[in-house]
Amino acid sequence: MSSVTYIEHLPAVPKRRRILNRLGYQEQMTVLDNEQARFLDQGIKQGLLLCQVQGVFGRFKISKRSPETVELDSGLIFKSRQLARMLVSSDEMVLMASTAGKEVTNRISFEIAQGNPALGVIFDAVASQAADAGLDSISKMLNTLLAKEGKRLLRRRFSPGYGDLSLCYQRILFDLLKLEKLELNLTETFMIVPEKSVLAITGIQGIKP
Amino acid sequence: MREHVLVLDGATGTELQKRGMPLGVCPEQWVLDNPGVLVAIQKEYRDAGSDVVYTCTFGGNRIKLAEFGLGDKTREINQCLAELSRKAMGKDGLVAGDLAPTGQFIKPFGNVPFEDAVDVYKEQVRGLLDGGVDFFVIETMMDIQEARAALLAVKESCDLAVCVSMTFDQAGKTLTGTDPVTALITLQALGADAVGCNCSTGPQDMLNIISAMRPYARIPLLAKPNAGLPKLIDGKTVFDMMPDKFGSFMLSFISQGVGLIGGCCGTSPEYIKQIRSQVTRMKPVPPDPKRIFAVNSARKTVFAGSDRPLVVIGERINPTGKQKMQEELKEGKTLEVKKFAQEQIEKGASILDVNVGMPGINERDTMIKIVEQLSAIAEAPLCLDSASPEVLEAALRMYPGRALINSISGEKSKLKKLLPLAAKYGAAFILLPLSEKGVPETAEERIQIIENVFAEAQKFGYQKHDFVVDGLVMTVSSDQKAAQETLKVISWCTNMFGCNTVVGLSNVSFGLPERGWINATFLAMAAGHGLTMVIANPSNDMLMRIKMASDVLTSRDPNSMRYIGFCWENKEEAERPRTHKRVLKPAEQLYDAVLMGDRDNIRTLLDAALREGLSASDAVEQRLIPAIMQVGILYEKKIYYLPQLIQSAETLKDAFEILEPLLAPGKKSGRKKAIVVLATVKGDIHDIGKNIVALMLRNYGFTVHDLGKDVPAEEIIRKATETKADIVGLSALMTTTMVEMKQVIDHARKSNLGSRFMVGGAVVNEHYAKEIGADGYAKDAHAAVKLAESLAKNTGDKQGGSE
Repeated sequence: MSSVTYIEHLPAVPKRRRILNRLGYQEQMTVLDNEQARFLDQGIKQGLLLCQVQGVFGRFKISKRSPETVELDSGLIFKSRQLARMLVSSDEMVLMASTAGKEVTNRISFEIAQGNPALGVIFDAVASQAADAGLDSISKMLNTLLAKEGKRLLRRRFSPGYGDLSLCYQRILFDLLKLEKLELNLTETFMIVPEKSVLAITGIQGIKP
Repeated sequence: MREHVLVLDGATGTELQKRGMPLGVCPEQWVLDNPGVLVAIQKEYRDAGSDVVYTCTFGGNRIKLAEFGLGDKTREINQCLAELSRKAMGKDGLVAGDLAPTGQFIKPFGNVPFEDAVDVYKEQVRGLLDGGVDFFVIETMMDIQEARAALLAVKESCDLAVCVSMTFDQAGKTLTGTDPVTALITLQALGADAVGCNCSTGPQDMLNIISAMRPYARIPLLAKPNAGLPKLIDGKTVFDMMPDKFGSFMLSFISQGVGLIGGCCGTSPEYIKQIRSQVTRMKPVPPDPKRIFAVNSARKTVFAGSDRPLVVIGERINPTGKQKMQEELKEGKTLEVKKFAQEQIEKGASILDVNVGMPGINERDTMIKIVEQLSAIAEAPLCLDSASPEVLEAALRMYPGRALINSISGEKSKLKKLLPLAAKYGAAFILLPLSEKGVPETAEERIQIIENVFAEAQKFGYQKHDFVVDGLVMTVSSDQKAAQETLKVISWCTNMFGCNTVVGLSNVSFGLPERGWINATFLAMAAGHGLTMVIANPSNDMLMRIKMASDVLTSRDPNSMRYIGFCWENKEEAERPRTHKRVLKPAEQLYDAVLMGDRDNIRTLLDAALREGLSASDAVEQRLIPAIMQVGILYEKKIYYLPQLIQSAETLKDAFEILEPLLAPGKKSGRKKAIVVLATVKGDIHDIGKNIVALMLRNYGFTVHDLGKDVPAEEIIRKATETKADIVGLSALMTTTMVEMKQVIDHARKSNLGSRFMVGGAVVNEHYAKEIGADGYAKDAHAAVKLAESLAKNTGDKQGGSE
């Protein structure tokens, strides 16, 4: 049986270094004066407050596989050679999603429109990293749970739209995880709204003795 | 439990699998279909020495059973399984009704409403009671809030004893971040009869968890470790510790206050035999808890005492006098509250007072919302501040920790309502020594009320370290002896009675000028009399410095380490180098203003520079353009990052808006007027990169028509034709949508559109740009400006320039 678990407040704290990287900041090169450093710090703090990182994950049994496909026990088939290769030693597939929420996405547009684009891009970097940190947080939780079974997640994650896995699988992930419960939507072209949201696929493997 | 150590059972799930239960089935249903198997296992446990077996109802709650289509049979299944265990144990053995996780997360961490979770467990509890269990065990809990829901469900359903055991990871935290001490304090305050740990680790690591709990445990501890660490071998989970090794840890557990001991995953009757042989005829070591005040959130415990640093309770989450917070609360928003929470914690508050009382809102709903939000994001415990018992009960019920109530007074009607409430949810409280007659003037009268309230509170199990006395600060401008009376109360509580004290500072100075001096001096005096907590604004630097200094002077800061650290941080702040721009003349500062992105001062500087004789065109050519060129160089060298580039460009834009009317017609000093149409292509909704490009192009003088995101090719071509665009900029973030760029360019070529095309976006590169026939690729907003300048020049050469 598969079940899906929702988390309304993921303990997802994005790494500051990654936020700065997104903004083009380079260690030991970029120079900020006091005011700019304060502006950045305040921007990051405010951005984090605007994010409400929510997430969801589900475990799904893999019933069949071929070099080009992975089939779940519900009969759903994923056609992707790369995904099949990644899951070659997994009996279960894990689907997960994380979102930084609507408030921060709206605020990014608001700040840019209101003439505060520098703040807007800081919020944008924070929100992007917060959504990614949400997936990291889900992975950490799952690994804690799986450790009891002598299992762990694969280190790699895969997403629709990458490699040979068509973006249209976003719809399948969306439905399996019932992402409308997180107030997410999917456009006709399979884009998730709000924008600062991420979907991922990984597998479960045994911890080697 | 007080007479002798109780031996619990070992693993059930792995034993069932050994005896034929397949993987993936519903264990509860399989056992009902094969009752003899469970009865045999439990008899073996009994024969091996278990005083107690757990019912086989680990997944017996409605949410788990529903995964197998059995949700509607919850009560019946639990009753039958409890009866089976009773049959196995006979009259002499004990059967514990087993409640375990639902697999879902409860609010505030998850999406399952707290009351729904309580109801789910109550349904299971009813079935287990029907089956005749002797007591309850809530086990393998990974979320303190779910453990609280199950514990309340049992306590609101029956009077049987209930034990709670949590699961911690190797870092000593539950899945939702609760440490062992915090779990213990929360659960024992809420009425658990034993608290402990099961699963997650082998006996060695579990001993560390139990040892951490021991100093604060008022109740027996429970331990059920795994048989070592799990490994997956040939598709099966196996554990690496043998029974004799496992048994060798038992005496250490007992010496650490464990009164209930058994085994979890990987253990079998063999392991229980080892336990029994070690603990036979042993009496439990009675609890010997530290008498210390403690409150906690789900993730942090704060202790207070006269030998510990003065605890600051941040007072700022209160809408009184805060218009923005009032507006937000009316709209159901919480950003301002979260900001105050974050700021106060950063400034040194250990506990956050939460008061949302104001007209025009539903205080109960607002309090719940704020408590949910803060519980999820802030580690600091909350002090729930309301005059309404209904609001307090709602907040206490769903707060995932041990809260502090502000406050319970000596008024009989309040005591009658609030003491049972506080006791039910295990909250600590601020004792307000006033009565129906009002605030007593003298310390002696207040002391009498304190003693009366304590006598009542004792009836509910409260001890002196479970509450904190408010010294009641009155205004010295109307009675100068008022402060002395408060200090007498503090001194008596500290030295005679033996409890903690708190004051709300600001009232003392009401009506006087320079109130900060009075408040700060009073804080120092109160600290000298033994004050343990203060309700204050931690952003008040003077108060915080006095708090840090008084911790040193009252021996609450060993080796003055906290004070030294505090001074070091503040010194660093004060001694940061200042930028040189303020000492330059206004005309010289124009360059720096653009360089530093100083939008706040650009207008003032321009006005001053123009007054001093700088011409508008010189301002542009000699100051602003060189400055923005330098910004571009710094950005390319990575000395500047994106927000600096944007701020400088915005400052330049502001300056141009001021200077534009002053510049001679036709002499716009290098400002370009090429027309650019920008769009994120059809199917793609990512537009921040494109928005930043639009902004930068505008700041550099381009006329930009931004069509937004998800724009069809036809619309882009139409707009480019209509505006006679020199350049069309296309953006796409996804590999799946970048192909649309080619459609647009092909369409444009067919339509004989003369515009040049530039493309960009996370997945686009130079090679792709060439492949689809674009005229250039820009990796970021700065590169886009440079490319646009180059394309505009070429277009101008080719077309004879644009407007």
